[in-house]
Amino acid sequence: MKPLSISALSVLGAVSRGVRYGFDIMDATDLPSGTVYPVLGRLERDGYVRSKWESQTVAQREKRPPRRYYEISASGSRALAESAAHYREIGARFGAAPRKAPSK
Amino acid sequence: MTPNDLPATIRPTYERCMRLVRIAGVLVPERRRDEWTREWMGELWYRASLLDRDDDSRAHAARRLYARTLGAFPHAVWTFTDELRLDPMLQDLKYALRGIARRPAFAALVIATLTIGIGANTAMFSIVHGVLVKPLPYERPDELVYMYGAFSRGSQASVSPPDYLDYRERNSVFSSLAARTVFGTSVITGSGEPERVRSAIASANFFSTLGIAPYRGRAFLPEEENGDHAVAILSFGLWQRRYAGDARIIGATVPIDGRAHTVVGVMPPVLDRTMDIQVWRPIAFNTSRTSVRRFHFLRLVGRLKPGVTLAQAQRHMDVVAGSLAAQYPENEGWHLALSPYRDVVIGDVRPVLLILLGAVALVLLIACGNVASLLLARASARSGEMAVRTALGAGRGRLVRQLLTESAALGIASGIAGLALGHYLLVAVRAVGTGMVPRLAEIEIDGTVLIFTVLISLATSLTFGAAPALHAIRSDLASVMKSLGKTSATRRGVSTRDTLVVAQVALSCVLLIAAGLLVRSLWQLQRVETGFDPSRLVAAEVSLPETRYRTRDAVAQFWNQFLDRVRAIPGVESASATSLFPLRGGGDTYFYVEGRPPETDADKMNATISTVTDDYFSTMRIPLVAGRAFDASDRRDGPGVLIVSNALATRLFPGASALGKRLVVDFGKPFTGEIIGVAGDVRVYGQVNDAPDLLYFTMRQPNAGWGLSVGNLAARVRGDPASLAPQLRAVVRELDADVPLSSVQSVESILSDSVSGQRLRTQLLVGFAVVALLLAVIGLYGVLAYSVSQRSREMGIRMALGARRWALLGLVMRQGMVLVVIGVVLGIAASLGVTRLLRAQLFGVGPTDPAVFAIMATALIIAGLAACVVPARRATRADPMLALRTE
Repeated sequence: MKPLSISALSVLGAVSRGVRYGFDIMDATDLPSGTVYPVLGRLERDGYVRSKWESQTVAQREKRPPRRYYEISASGSRALAESAAHYREIGARFGAAPRKAPSK
Repeated sequence: MTPNDLPATIRPTYERCMRLVRIAGVLVPERRRDEWTREWMGELWYRASLLDRDDDSRAHAARRLYARTLGAFPHAVWTFTDELRLDPMLQDLKYALRGIARRPAFAALVIATLTIGIGANTAMFSIVHGVLVKPLPYERPDELVYMYGAFSRGSQASVSPPDYLDYRERNSVFSSLAARTVFGTSVITGSGEPERVRSAIASANFFSTLGIAPYRGRAFLPEEENGDHAVAILSFGLWQRRYAGDARIIGATVPIDGRAHTVVGVMPPVLDRTMDIQVWRPIAFNTSRTSVRRFHFLRLVGRLKPGVTLAQAQRHMDVVAGSLAAQYPENEGWHLALSPYRDVVIGDVRPVLLILLGAVALVLLIACGNVASLLLARASARSGEMAVRTALGAGRGRLVRQLLTESAALGIASGIAGLALGHYLLVAVRAVGTGMVPRLAEIEIDGTVLIFTVLISLATSLTFGAAPALHAIRSDLASVMKSLGKTSATRRGVSTRDTLVVAQVALSCVLLIAAGLLVRSLWQLQRVETGFDPSRLVAAEVSLPETRYRTRDAVAQFWNQFLDRVRAIPGVESASATSLFPLRGGGDTYFYVEGRPPETDADKMNATISTVTDDYFSTMRIPLVAGRAFDASDRRDGPGVLIVSNALATRLFPGASALGKRLVVDFGKPFTGEIIGVAGDVRVYGQVNDAPDLLYFTMRQPNAGWGLSVGNLAARVRGDPASLAPQLRAVVRELDADVPLSSVQSVESILSDSVSGQRLRTQLLVGFAVVALLLAVIGLYGVLAYSVSQRSREMGIRMALGARRWALLGLVMRQGMVLVVIGVVLGIAASLGVTRLLRAQLFGVGPTDPAVFAIMATALIIAGLAACVVPARRATRADPMLALRTE
């Protein structure tokens, strides 16, 4: 499998941590909107994330249109783990200390 | 839920962002646009609603939100390309390109064939577009009107200066009415060799009427129309060439026709052929020559007031002309003939260009036929592949689309190559077309031409792609699957290709016949008896400055000295002079037979005038039908003498000798002369035009003729006429360094130049016809060769059963020749209708000339036979054993 690009990795990482909305992902990853949305599109096309619309009732209650949110899929989790491992290995080869896997 | 639900402090920010999103959304495929927009809307709304905090950070956050919204553009672009990736068209294209790359020879053949067709069409269309369609390079050119003076219907005479002033004064349809002369030359002296240039005089408002701004300096001023101002405007070309583009020319003094002129302006580079004048001077309305209503030498250019039509203007000017005629008897019958300025610039090339465009379109059609035939053959070969794909679930629509995509890829590749070819063809046309094609400089490949090329490339690919696509739809899956691996052609594929061959033969037959007619008429044109012997004859033009050669005697003296010296040049057999050189045009005047003056103006007779030296007839080898040539016995003060042309003599004095009769000729004052000779008719105005009525006068008698201050040398030499030029120049320089000698040319080349337009169009059409013939022959060959290869088994069996080789040869030949003959018959039938369009271009041959039809049909059949022989011979080499073994 081809490893994910760095930006895809950080977007997918954010989604896996429960950052669900496009603009929130931008805040979480510090990537610009012109990068985040195409990356989300590609991830969705490859089946790593699924997008859904939040329920009408919630939106209606808050008097705003519904927002679209993204969730990681099983294959997305696998790709995330493999790509993270891949980049870690590269990092190790360059002498960087392997970061501890996030606890919990 | 509307944006109105947002707090008023936030709404503008939200709306500004959403506007951006909607703009970017245009790129998003429609299918995905709604969802795409709603995602942005949801985020922006949510984020905007969070902005409602204190003013300071809100302005900052709003800017950040707006900046973030700009990401909608890359997002939209990504969505667009993502959609394309899924598009089956693109997959077809990928497949098509792969298919083309796999068969490079096939693709090269197809692209080469189409490139020729598309390239020729692109070039021809550029010419037609540049010459006929594009607006003239003037301000609002549709308002410009050109005016001839007219006496009878259809005549193209000129207008006298007083009449022009009255027309300018009294009309109410032109916002501006200007006048100019059309034929004229001047001599520039001063620094460098004296030079004869095309010159014109024009009214002060001439340039402003056309809307031309001077390139340097200024145009003429109204007060310069009174003749006290010796000012001139030079052409861009003359300024660059003679004065090296020196800006100090403005205000400088240049001697023109022996008088010092101040240069006040320089025109922009040549605009069209009506403006191909090197020196412009203002007209002087107060001289004796310009105040006579009988002297017509101006053409008018007017700019119509907005909303006035040409027909209205014509009616109005007719009324003005009527009032002038009522006032001045000499204006009786004179009026103006108005025509659009464009018509005058373009001249008579419109039908020729349209015919050539039609011809080149036929060539493309034939090329399409060839490519369609090639693709059909390939489609038959690929019918197995198609059947398998159908069996695997590909829809027929999908197959057709894939085939059309392949055609389009080929068509577009050919279009690009054709554009390049067209460009080089145009470069070639610009190099050879000077003087034959008007507005040559404006011909270029521009946006319109590009669109045309794209369209014909696509139309072409649809045309040749349709046949295999239809074939794919119709072919029956089961039967194809069954026949897989066997080599018998499906009958339908072959018959479609047969039809294509018949059509190609018919189309090239039409082109061949059209070309044949033009060739025949060019041949006739060149065989026309001009009335003199042009071989080894050299002509040159001499203009004597009026300031120093004021009298006819002074002019005659120059010529006598000049001719004596020319005769002394080794290799010169004889030398003479004339005021009117054949094929270079000249002047005419009224005359009547003494004792029979005309009763009304309509009875006036008109003849072309030529003033000559004694040995003119012997030098030119113009036969004298009766009487004698001029000689020393025709003295300066003796009785007037003249020589008339044969046709005129016969008409004036039917059944009687013209010798001894006397004519009265109008040269301002009447000149009475006795006819001492009758000369053979000469086609003075070119091979295309009939010989005019001619009156010859001797240079010895200064009251006769127009004199030779602008005259032509005619000398017969023993060697090469062109080699005489340097010696002639030396002789002139010796006599008078201020006299320019121009247009030194062999008369044979003048004759040949005079039909250069006809020659060019004939060569083009012949070229198209030859390409068409080649394409048709290749098409025929391809069909037969393919059919023979498909039938090799059948041939083998026939041979095994005892068929003779010549019988097999006959079988294939017959198959091919049936197509050729049907094509020729259809082609002849079509030609009978089509060649009528050529009638105006033909000379001395009818549009249905049986000889041309017969020759071209025969040529086509012979070419067809040649195309059949090779495949037919291959059929006879079929191996019976091989055929039987595979059965």
